[in-house]
Amino acid sequence: MNRRVSTLLLVVAAAGIAGAIWTAFRPGDNVVVVYVSEDQVFSEPILKDFERETGIQIKAVYDTEETKSAGAMNRLIAEKTNPQADVYWANEPIRAEVLRQQGVSAPYRSPNAEGIPEQFRNAEGHWTGFSARGRILIVRRWLKEKPLSIRAYTDPRFNGKAVIANPLFGTTTAHMAALFIVWGDAPAKAFLDAVRKNGVRVSSSNGESADQVATGAFQFALADTDDVHSRQKQGQPVEGIYPDQEKGGLGCFIVPNAVLLIKGAPRPEKGRKLIDYLLSRETEKKLAYSDAGQIPLHSDVDTPPAVRRLETLKVMNVDYAAVAAKMQMIQPLLRDWVGH
Amino acid sequence: MQRRLTLLLVVGALVIIGLLPLVMMLGKSFFVDDTLTFAVYEKLFADARVQWEPMAHSLTLASLTAGFAMVLGVPLGLLLGKTDLPFRRALAVLLSVPLLIPPYILAVSWFNFLARDGLLARFIPARTAELMSGWLFGLPGCVWVLVGAFMPVVMILTMVYVHAVSPRLEESGRLITRWPGILRHITLPMIMPGILFGGMLVFLLALGEVGVPMFLRYPVYPVETLTQFSAFYDFGAAAAAATPMLGITLAVLALERFCLREKTYRLRPVTSGTRMLLVSLGRWGVPAFLAVSLLAAAVVALPLLALIVASLSPFAYSEAWSKAADSLGRSLIFAVFGASLLMLFGFFCGYLIHHRVLRFWRAVDTLTLLLFTLPGTVIGVGLIALWNRPVTGFVYASAAMVILAYLAQYTALTSRITLATLGNVPHSLEEAAQMTGAPWLARIFHVVVPAALPGVIAAWLIGFIFCLRDLGASMLVYPPGQDTLPVRIYTLMANGAPSLIAALCVIVVSVTLTSLAILGSLLRTALSHR
Amino acid sequence: MSAIELRDVLKTYDGRRVVDAISASVERSERVVLLGPSGCGKTTVLRLVAGLEVPDSGAISINGNDVSAGGRNLVEPERRHIGMVFQDLALWPHMTVFQHLEFALRYDKLTRPTDRPGRIMEVLEMVRLVDRAHAKPGELSGGQQQRVALARALVTNPAIVLMDEPLSSLDHELNLHLRGEILRLHATLGFTLVYVTHSREEAADIGTRVIAMQDGRVKDAGTPTIATTNARDT
Repeated sequence: MNRRVSTLLLVVAAAGIAGAIWTAFRPGDNVVVVYVSEDQVFSEPILKDFERETGIQIKAVYDTEETKSAGAMNRLIAEKTNPQADVYWANEPIRAEVLRQQGVSAPYRSPNAEGIPEQFRNAEGHWTGFSARGRILIVRRWLKEKPLSIRAYTDPRFNGKAVIANPLFGTTTAHMAALFIVWGDAPAKAFLDAVRKNGVRVSSSNGESADQVATGAFQFALADTDDVHSRQKQGQPVEGIYPDQEKGGLGCFIVPNAVLLIKGAPRPEKGRKLIDYLLSRETEKKLAYSDAGQIPLHSDVDTPPAVRRLETLKVMNVDYAAVAAKMQMIQPLLRDWVGH
Repeated sequence: MQRRLTLLLVVGALVIIGLLPLVMMLGKSFFVDDTLTFAVYEKLFADARVQWEPMAHSLTLASLTAGFAMVLGVPLGLLLGKTDLPFRRALAVLLSVPLLIPPYILAVSWFNFLARDGLLARFIPARTAELMSGWLFGLPGCVWVLVGAFMPVVMILTMVYVHAVSPRLEESGRLITRWPGILRHITLPMIMPGILFGGMLVFLLALGEVGVPMFLRYPVYPVETLTQFSAFYDFGAAAAAATPMLGITLAVLALERFCLREKTYRLRPVTSGTRMLLVSLGRWGVPAFLAVSLLAAAVVALPLLALIVASLSPFAYSEAWSKAADSLGRSLIFAVFGASLLMLFGFFCGYLIHHRVLRFWRAVDTLTLLLFTLPGTVIGVGLIALWNRPVTGFVYASAAMVILAYLAQYTALTSRITLATLGNVPHSLEEAAQMTGAPWLARIFHVVVPAALPGVIAAWLIGFIFCLRDLGASMLVYPPGQDTLPVRIYTLMANGAPSLIAALCVIVVSVTLTSLAILGSLLRTALSHR
Repeated sequence: MSAIELRDVLKTYDGRRVVDAISASVERSERVVLLGPSGCGKTTVLRLVAGLEVPDSGAISINGNDVSAGGRNLVEPERRHIGMVFQDLALWPHMTVFQHLEFALRYDKLTRPTDRPGRIMEVLEMVRLVDRAHAKPGELSGGQQQRVALARALVTNPAIVLMDEPLSSLDHELNLHLRGEILRLHATLGFTLVYVTHSREEAADIGTRVIAMQDGRVKDAGTPTIATTNARDT
């Protein structure tokens, strides 16, 4: 064989072997493995701070926006019999509930959970909520008539002018399930039918909905507070409206992050340390001041003016375990609704 | 003995890497709560409207993409590979760039260009901009993006096959007619199997594509598989949902086997010193150059320009680099390793199929193509199901899983490239080495590989490109903290600023092009001394 | 003991009997020519002797030892120590003339590594290609390429050499010249030669015995005169 070709193939083989050695690398002991459904843009800085402050190395797996749970969540379920992760940082308690129901979580009551309202914690300690998003309306800033309720989706004045994220994914699914619980099945189904009839478009994600409103393609959308904050920080002409805040109103569906310890975690002690860190007031303050603009669940956390405090909001009163159960039940209905 | 043993080992590895995860996934679809049941399949086929409409969309998208890719790719391949078109090499490289880019990034680029507030909107009336934007979201946009992404497959295959036509055959035609007639009656019929194979490849790639239709909101069947994962956490249903895709792939393979595989052609022998005949375009040279340049601008330059413009914001690149440098390095190393193994696997699989060494050679070919068609997420969950056990934990916890995903998904590509290459290498070369007493592996590495070197290198380069841009399976199996660049971009897409995402995409394209340029240059130097 | 013996050798392709229960033998140092039209099975017989094809039934022995029997090869081609010149020459385009011979000797257990260069030069002198030792096949003329193929077949000093229509693509003058070369080499080295051709003239010139074949069977066998009386050219 030609010498240069042999050399070239040798170099490639050497690179291959180097790759092989590297790929054989496994996490060591001073490591905690966390699967994260919270957007990497917001979660990574917190995890890096944990690394810096504790010296414990973080190895993370993040979810993706488009595929939602196809990353972290399904991995956890698929790995149930031989867990690789120590902690799961969910961006909503419904996922944590699903994992609890699937037997993936282990109970742990962190001392830092003290002060977090019971509505945002699992009674047995399987998961604890922190730093919440609100499900709010992102609205074009110069709109004359602004929607104040999620029922604006069925308002003929907004026919064809609204967009909603695919209810099969993410916080929208949970929100729909919450409506089914609070209103009842029939009224909630009627609401969905009316939404469809009112020409509401379906986007692939909250982020895309927010972008669509920001560019003026639509007048409003349901999105999360962090979607609204990030577009505002980008200078987009949008504002966030907390829906249904009037007396007797439905209230705003609050979606806290939730953290849980994985059952059979390889490094449970380090996992608990991370959980304590995430539930700390300091973390909640950071997330409040970040582009996510998340609402602390501890009442005594310093927040910027743009972030509403929990005690100033009318919160939709739901049991997240019930929401998780209802979410699974209404999946076929939602799939039909999207399919149409 | 050496030959049989080596090939059996390769097939065994392929079975473990590709078939077993698939079997485990399909197995899940027959067991609900540890009870054997067909309920999942009953549900799957019960509601035709829900299942078959997306399937019809997928077939429409795949057919249109393959059709247009061939309509554009074949003439381009002939122009760039068979004529004296000015700057044809540069144009060939430019038109091949979309192949290097993950299709969803192309979709993002076109969005940046054609969106209501995209680059084009600055220069055209608002109504037209809205019309263009509306056109992008749906079937037309999906076809446009995927044709741009996959047309280079047909173009490159046409260029490669046209080089293999014996000049003597064309010369005999020149005594009878002019070049258009020769191309129509001699050259094209001879290379038609290669072109049709390219079309088939594009069809299968478009059929399994998820990212672009999801982004452009065109409901296609593979999304159904994804939905089963995301919404229902139902692996069995996801596997069942993948079975129609398997069925279509088998049908396409059967068609390919029936129409193409038994044809043999007199191609240029390796020992020949004669050069390929080039068609002189004469006065058509300049118009042809302008036409191809216009196409390159429309299909390649515009979206890339939109991407670059979108990335032009202070600190976008520095932020992109700080967020993704580590994953970029990993992607390159994984891609080099993956490509090397793919080249090895693909070579032996291609050899096995070409020489029909083992009785089940057809099954090997079918298996690799089936795995190529499967959505990456299905392969990913299958790999998890197989490898995530205490006894194999040392593999599962490592980035070897990413490499396994690459091997499972892309062996078909390198195998088929090898197959095509070996078709040009006379078997007598290996037989002559055999008669000297050389054992099989020595014959392979000293005679067959050197004779097939351009194809072997092409296999490596194609493997490198596909590994570098892989998203589906690697997203599910990368070890914590070792994500690849496409996965990193996808996760940052959630709330990253558009300029950051655009900058990351530009980095992907630049790194891929630079790597290929360096490697291509090294290989050209090496080959010129053969 | 014959150098090569075929006993009721049968080979079929797609149901067609390409070699139809042939029995034949070749004695040591004989020059046997297989003569016949295209498709008569002569090349297949050669490939069966080489071990590149496996007989469906019957047996083939070399120097009294069975190398193929019971529908399988008992000795693989690379172990039969046979030199072969292929119809398309099968020269390796990436190797020089010298490298061709060096590769052929690499796996010859009878030649020590230190003796290889000397042996290579010896053979190159025999075929008169010393001054082209570092050329690649693409740089050689047709006749030179033929001689490289010959040299490769002979460099390991095999007892048996098979040639499959090696001169068919050459012009008459070169054909004649190389026939002389083959005969000269045979006289020098004394190998057993089995030579396949469809040319009566070549058969009469090269063979000490001619086996005429048709439709997979032996039609006639005998002295070279049968080449001019019984066989047909294509």
